[in-house]
Amino acid sequence: MSECHGRGKTLHIDYSKCIGCETCEAVCGFLYDTPRIAMARTGDGQMIPIYCQHCEHAHCMKVCNRGALMRDRDGAVVLQPMLCRGCETRNCVIACPYAAFFATDRGVAVRKCDLCAGRRAVGLGPACAEMCPCGAIRFADRDELDELETEASREARDRVLAHIRPKK
Amino acid sequence: MSNAMNFAFMREEPAPPNGRRVAIIGAGPSGLAAAGYLGCLGYQVEVYDKLPKPGGLMLFGIPGHRIPADRIQRGVFTLSRKFGVNFHNKTKICCSAPLHEEEGDHFSCDIRGLGELVEEHDAVIICSGAWKSRKLGIPGEQLKGVYSGLEFLFPIRAVKYATSNVSVPPVEGRTVVVVGAGHSAMDVAHSAKALGAKRVVMVYRRTKKEAPAGSYEVDRLIDVGCEWLERRTPLRIVADETGQHVAALEMADGNTGETEVLPADVIVTSIGEIPTPPFQKELGLENVRKGEVRWLHMTSIENVFVAGDVLTGPSKIGKAVYSGLRAARSLTNWLDLKAQHRENEYNYDADVITRPGAPSEQR
Repeated sequence: MSECHGRGKTLHIDYSKCIGCETCEAVCGFLYDTPRIAMARTGDGQMIPIYCQHCEHAHCMKVCNRGALMRDRDGAVVLQPMLCRGCETRNCVIACPYAAFFATDRGVAVRKCDLCAGRRAVGLGPACAEMCPCGAIRFADRDELDELETEASREARDRVLAHIRPKK
Repeated sequence: MSNAMNFAFMREEPAPPNGRRVAIIGAGPSGLAAAGYLGCLGYQVEVYDKLPKPGGLMLFGIPGHRIPADRIQRGVFTLSRKFGVNFHNKTKICCSAPLHEEEGDHFSCDIRGLGELVEEHDAVIICSGAWKSRKLGIPGEQLKGVYSGLEFLFPIRAVKYATSNVSVPPVEGRTVVVVGAGHSAMDVAHSAKALGAKRVVMVYRRTKKEAPAGSYEVDRLIDVGCEWLERRTPLRIVADETGQHVAALEMADGNTGETEVLPADVIVTSIGEIPTPPFQKELGLENVRKGEVRWLHMTSIENVFVAGDVLTGPSKIGKAVYSGLRAARSLTNWLDLKAQHRENEYNYDADVITRPGAPSEQR
């Protein structure tokens, strides 16, 4: 496995700029048949995209018994379908704190965002970030994440996390 | 990365010209997504739009604080400069109804027929959207001071492209009643507040929990001082003493069963739009909607495709984008196979079936 440069890249969504228009999900679905970024409706009716944050210390990588989740040279956590194939545990789906693994009913058991690996290989960025009408999705260096946060984005993010991980 | 909505996201540079010309009618999200896809593949794309600038309702309907206008404009700029897309603004393609019937028609200087376009291009995609506002169907809707959501929102953005026949609805210091609870109703209420309305009252026939825009959005409006009345069914719009202008909204209160009268200077009925396709019958759009066509997104006129809200009715930007991309891809498949006389090899079923989890084509 190659080491990634610096702390690598990731996707960042500023939920305070997001209007829930579903363009990210649509473009992802167009490119990959089944989208790897998915809209959810919160209890109070907001539409929010759920996405992989390519965590620096990724739980999914730790719980995958087959080593099917690897860090690529840009820092993306990518799924190796040949290793994943046939795994029924779906440990990754359960472990992901952002609900960004999606179970499938055919072929490999799960699908996840790979930051548009095929596009990155030819110098393009993730399609969702390119097409977001609001500029809410950024393909960012992990080092610049702090600069992207605002008071509004933190507050909006907390609302989304409260939906993903409801208090018991 | 540039701060643009990159419609040409498929490639960094366009493929070499393939000698094919495609006309796209409508420069909203579906038309621009289709233009980007085809531009990347080396098509010569001509985009026609009735408005003075490309962007459709992303620019002229949705307020700027939600979608930054310059982000759309930069994406359009890239399409035109780098991908050779030609934009023909203020050009209406032959409509099913007389000109000046829809919002935004008054911008059109040039009218061209669909037949002309079909002859001049290898293919055409119609992405003209849903512009006609749904009516409540109650007495008094024709009174002055009664607007549809689009009639109210459109001029607020359009007035920047200064033409004498567009003016912002006068709401300063007045009472505005907004009927509906979808996203455009929310935008109407926010805009009315921003334009200095004295009082903004939201009226919805069901409860806050059922509001299509979600209770979160409703709560934000209440936070900025709008009033929220739920389970109210509009019955009649009452005229003032001149009989010309609106004075109040009479409605049935679903909580008490009583009739109440709400004084209003302006009433905005924001309850959705209906598609306005040119040549609805000739194109056989009903069959395209049902999926009873031999080629995905192709109408009953050969080489003419259709995508976006004009097909599905009002939806969301994402659905329109998806539909535009699919129509563009279907169009390229069609022209490629046709060039080799292999149209019968097209596998419609494989193309049309959206797998579980994929955004659905029509809802």
